[in-house]
Amino acid sequence: MLLCQAPLSTALTLEKIFSFQKVRPPRACAKCLSQFKPLLDCQTCRVCGRRAVDLSDDTCLDCHKWRQQFPYPFVNQALFEYNAAMKDFMKQYKFLGDYRLRAVFNQLVTARLKQSGRLIVTVPIHPNTFEERGFNQVLGLCEGVQTVSCLKTCQITKHTRQSEKDRAARLQTAQPFEFVEPAGSLIRGKAIIIVDDVYTTGTTIRHAASLLYQAGANSVTGLTLAR
Amino acid sequence: MTADCHFGRQSSSRVGAWCARCHTKLNPAVAQLPDNQYYCYACIQMGRMDTLHRLVTVAEPNQFAKIVKPMSWQGQLTNLQQQCADQVVKIFDQRQRHLLWAVTGAGKTEMLFPAIAWAVSQGLRVGIASPRVDVCIELFPRIKAAFEQVSCILLHGKADQPYQYCQITVCTTHQLLRFYHAFDVMVIDEVDVFPFAGNQMLHFAVQNAIKPGGGILYLTATPDEALMRQIRQKKLSVSYLPIRYHGFLLPTVKIIKSRHLKQKIDQKQLPQSVLRMIIKLLQQRQRFLLFVPRIKDLTLVSEALNRAAITGRFLTVYSADPKRIEKVAAMRDQTVDFLITTTILERGVTFPGIDVIVLKADDEIFSASALVQIAGRVGRNSARPTGRVLFYCERRTKTIRSCDNQIRQMNRKATRLK
Repeated sequence: MLLCQAPLSTALTLEKIFSFQKVRPPRACAKCLSQFKPLLDCQTCRVCGRRAVDLSDDTCLDCHKWRQQFPYPFVNQALFEYNAAMKDFMKQYKFLGDYRLRAVFNQLVTARLKQSGRLIVTVPIHPNTFEERGFNQVLGLCEGVQTVSCLKTCQITKHTRQSEKDRAARLQTAQPFEFVEPAGSLIRGKAIIIVDDVYTTGTTIRHAASLLYQAGANSVTGLTLAR
Repeated sequence: MTADCHFGRQSSSRVGAWCARCHTKLNPAVAQLPDNQYYCYACIQMGRMDTLHRLVTVAEPNQFAKIVKPMSWQGQLTNLQQQCADQVVKIFDQRQRHLLWAVTGAGKTEMLFPAIAWAVSQGLRVGIASPRVDVCIELFPRIKAAFEQVSCILLHGKADQPYQYCQITVCTTHQLLRFYHAFDVMVIDEVDVFPFAGNQMLHFAVQNAIKPGGGILYLTATPDEALMRQIRQKKLSVSYLPIRYHGFLLPTVKIIKSRHLKQKIDQKQLPQSVLRMIIKLLQQRQRFLLFVPRIKDLTLVSEALNRAAITGRFLTVYSADPKRIEKVAAMRDQTVDFLITTTILERGVTFPGIDVIVLKADDEIFSASALVQIAGRVGRNSARPTGRVLFYCERRTKTIRSCDNQIRQMNRKATRLK
């Protein structure tokens, strides 16, 4: 098993054998997976997808603020809570760089993306980060579906990681991305879904969304693994 | 210390990659990153090795200040211990591969001191490694106290101390991956234990950490089949120390058959015989460890005890228990009467004067060596060199019989020595 290194065991039932379908062994054991708290089947903020605290309001306080600050329509869906287990997962996957771990959530993410029927755009990572890490963690999660790389990070050298800043600093971040022009015809008039790994303040994904709107996108929504 | 990484690639048409640090043969499909790069997933917890980096090693300088009398330990070894200790010095001197098979509670650590002292006085670099982090943590302060003038460092995955070049390194076997031809002599404590036993990567780590032609001393009370095979094939020399430092024999096992034990525990009940024994021990103020095979048994048994209105103070402990260290400390400080534990306390721990009870001793989790080690928790103190070792089971399995035989065999050897 990928997460806890426990030995893998899959019971092969008669039903499975006679279904004549490819056997897909699970990538993580039920015990580890149960540590992640899914947000799909519970009440969440309509805008950012976080678990609702105040059940009488369908929009969280942060998103009320965003409504005043952000000129375009934007909603995000998150698959899991950003809890201790998910933080640990991100640490192993992104920062330690265990690329195998993409398999834990890959099927879930790609299924969601296919279901949306939208054009898929991934949030880019800085070339230096890519060089160091050797992979783009978002593309890893989306492996198996067609994505459009129409965004790239600006040429300025990166001083601090987004994950190393506090909330106030993150909200003030200037547009970190630029639009790759040749992709303009691909985007114009399209419904688009942006994919990122974690939605924390929503700054990053909104920066990406505003660029897509400026390029003529019809509607932009977000999908993140965690919120 | 090595900083980064490089990968070897086979020149043949079969594409293969192996990690330069841990030498694991990698599955290319799994190890592949985008852009035709590869990384090692086997030793990734120590920082990732990949084709984006190069592995660098530093030649061992062996620059240590001359210390004439490095040992500050004042203790006295028994005659038999002294004989073993002299032998270890000889093994280090001749750079042999040797297994010291010493019973639980023989005083293995103290027997190492003369040999370590000899190695240090010769300006050699000494590595002491164990697969279990708990063993390392318990070992380090004793080594440090015994060699006050010598530079010592403790390395393990959760250590926050920065690395320093030291003459004596105490570390987990995983940490040995960070060394290349560094140690003149090494000690591997508890060789037969998970994750070291049968783990190619860790065996490679040992071979890689030691200088070519360096000496290795393996220590255990319960050698596994792989070690026994090497002894039979004369690839490894062996010596026995079948007697404990206080000269008393190992406590023998009492096997008690109990019908439907598993079923009862699953229903949060315990057989009357077990309950009576626990009540008796509590009345005698006899502290003990209660071993169960699985984590889920911990709550089942503790609920059974609560139902039976057992008055003793107890805690449950398992490997991933966040309060594990505090709970073991509570047992040490005698603030609890007993601990219900999984096999994590089977070795490397000493609670003076305790008894042990094993429930479901016939469970496959308990290997013969685990049972020997559990029995070895009893009678370690010269103030109370005996004690009860009670195995409750439904069947007298091969492993239980093997454990019983091993203890009796060691005791026979010990009686001959007396």
